[in-house]
Amino acid sequence: MAELLEVLQYEWAWRALLASSMVGLMCGILGCFIVLRNMALIGDALSHAILPGVVVAFTILGYNVLGFFIGSVIAGILSAVAITWIQHNAKTKNDAAIGIVFTAMFSIGVIGISWLSRNEGVHLDLKDFLFGNVLGVENEDLWLTAAICAYVLLSVVVFYRYLFITTFQPTIAQTMGISVKLIHYYLMLLLSFAVVAALQTVGVILVVAMLITPASTALLLTNRLNKVVVISSVLGILSAVLGLIAAIIFETTPGPAMAIVATIIYLLALFLAPEKGIVAKRVIQHRVREKIEDEHILKESIKLSITNQLSFENLASKLDIGTAKLKRRILKLKKNGLFNASHLLQLSPEGKARASSLVRAHRLWETYLVDKIGLDETQIHAEADKLEHLLSDEILDEVDQSLGYPTLDPHGSPIPPKFGTPESPLFNMNIGQTIKITTRQLSNQVIKTLWELGIKPENSLRVHSKNDQEIILQDEDTIVSIKTDLARTINAIEIE
Amino acid sequence: MSNSISVHDLSISYDRKRVLTNIFLNIEPGKVIGVVGPNGAGKSTLFKSILNLIHVQSGKILIEGVPIEENRKSIAYVPQRDEVDWDFPAIVNDIVLMGRYPHKTVWKRLSKHDQDIADHAMQNLGIANLKNRQIGQLSGGQQQRVFIARALCQNPSIFLLDEPFVGVDIPTEERIIQILKQQAEAGKTLLVVHHDLSTVMQYFDQVILLNQRLIAFGDTDKVFTQENIAKAYSGQLSILQKIAMV
Repeated sequence: MAELLEVLQYEWAWRALLASSMVGLMCGILGCFIVLRNMALIGDALSHAILPGVVVAFTILGYNVLGFFIGSVIAGILSAVAITWIQHNAKTKNDAAIGIVFTAMFSIGVIGISWLSRNEGVHLDLKDFLFGNVLGVENEDLWLTAAICAYVLLSVVVFYRYLFITTFQPTIAQTMGISVKLIHYYLMLLLSFAVVAALQTVGVILVVAMLITPASTALLLTNRLNKVVVISSVLGILSAVLGLIAAIIFETTPGPAMAIVATIIYLLALFLAPEKGIVAKRVIQHRVREKIEDEHILKESIKLSITNQLSFENLASKLDIGTAKLKRRILKLKKNGLFNASHLLQLSPEGKARASSLVRAHRLWETYLVDKIGLDETQIHAEADKLEHLLSDEILDEVDQSLGYPTLDPHGSPIPPKFGTPESPLFNMNIGQTIKITTRQLSNQVIKTLWELGIKPENSLRVHSKNDQEIILQDEDTIVSIKTDLARTINAIEIE
Repeated sequence: MSNSISVHDLSISYDRKRVLTNIFLNIEPGKVIGVVGPNGAGKSTLFKSILNLIHVQSGKILIEGVPIEENRKSIAYVPQRDEVDWDFPAIVNDIVLMGRYPHKTVWKRLSKHDQDIADHAMQNLGIANLKNRQIGQLSGGQQQRVFIARALCQNPSIFLLDEPFVGVDIPTEERIIQILKQQAEAGKTLLVVHHDLSTVMQYFDQVILLNQRLIAFGDTDKVFTQENIAKAYSGQLSILQKIAMV
């Protein structure tokens, strides 16, 4: 740390910091469009392809920063044109066309540089081009970088809409009269600018890291292009600055340090991003699995409790899971109020409701698969098991209606009615009261069941008796028994 | 009445294979027009030629009397849904607002007025509540509503829709056809590439039957006959039987 503070007293350190943050910013912004247009390889290609431009500029003008810049941009644009031309006019694959052009240009550049340093006796170090020399940034380099940076920023702000739509749906852009080709070449121009500026900080080989890594990180973090651009530019600056500081502290080459910082940030986002991160996805998957497990426990519990066989052993063997694990889940379900906390193993009314709606989903769907799809009875169980957790109430109601409100599933088991609490459940009526069934019931299935039992809304009925299993109603000449569960779902009123 | 689209002797070939041959069409405004024909009949190619997305090798197309390059603002295109990158970082509102781009010069920002138009279009299609959703998170029907809303924002006089009902739920299909009919009543021209022959009678005022050549063009009840359909779908008996059942 002390070394760092000491280093920061020097002007060259500040020049290096400024230059690399500007490069981080530019590359971060342009990188978003490059990545979204599947042009990552083009970024790499352009950075390699500008070398011959530098060589030619040096031969003509000598060591001249502006000369290097102009030479590089011309070489960059020529390569972009050559690549696009091959892609459109030859039957060479797109990425192969890019590879051919940039390796050729790069080789010419490398040969040119070694020729220059051998014959002219000049100190053009190939290593500086490959990995950058950010610590050697001069004032005039800084001014040029600043000018390029301002130009790139301004261009993206002004042409943002055009960049957005030509990246997202080029065809639509064209039908709106926006020239997709022009925007493409303009982006290539901006890209060559940025690449030339980045040459001194990170070098030819690692420019692509500054272009695609922060942008890819940003794409993991948000769903809107404007936010992607902002986050990516911030991450670009962060990678450049932290990389440079790390390089100074550990006395290593700045370019690779910046690329590594960018990669570390990317990996962090890859694992920890709120929605698209691997951890978040795992957590969601885990929750879904737990929910399905819980729902199976509820479903089997209600089936077993109907025959009074609900015990940990029976439940565990039905579900094919260990008793210890089952006990843990039950404890959690008790906390959630789906099992009675005071009993060892008993569904709460709420748990019963959930369970019977699951059974309903399962059996309705099985019926649907047999009746409407024509599947065999043996094929349907697994299918229904998967879907019972996903079907919404609305879908189920539609399935129910299209099947004509069935009461039995294909295996002959009863389909529970849609669960809900009516305003005044029949079950709450007292012995000796005279009641009527209301015309307004929760579901058509309740109405159908009542109709099958021969109970009509105009009948007056007396509550004869009731217990845990059933409630018995009586009119002048008949006696009807209604199961407790059903009685809870029937809407009834007391009459004088 | 002046023509909104006139196609004069259009022929298109890809790699020496003829796709469209000698097409003449004079399309009047105020109608919903179905473009019907078998696969490979050149329906999408017809659209792309009208939009000048492909080079028109022979023939001439005028939009409201002028070449399309002078009249881009009058035409909105809703392409087939399968050409979209659904992972793209764009929310519904961003995409609908794109419909305002043709009305803005380079230096103009999008205004409150543009947002109002977009909001209105989203309400019209029942997707106002999805405004901030990323497009990949929507159902097929909702995605199609977004693109229709964008086309409405363009406020064009001509709509070209390429198979707008593919992969779309029934309420969405009904809503879209309702909107198309409203637009036609307002004097717009709507061309719709359509596959489901059973709904042609119900949906379209006029129909263009196409199979590389123009088989027939005119009012649906006069032109959409067994004979013409047979000509367009030459040899594809199953489709004829389907129509006979309708």
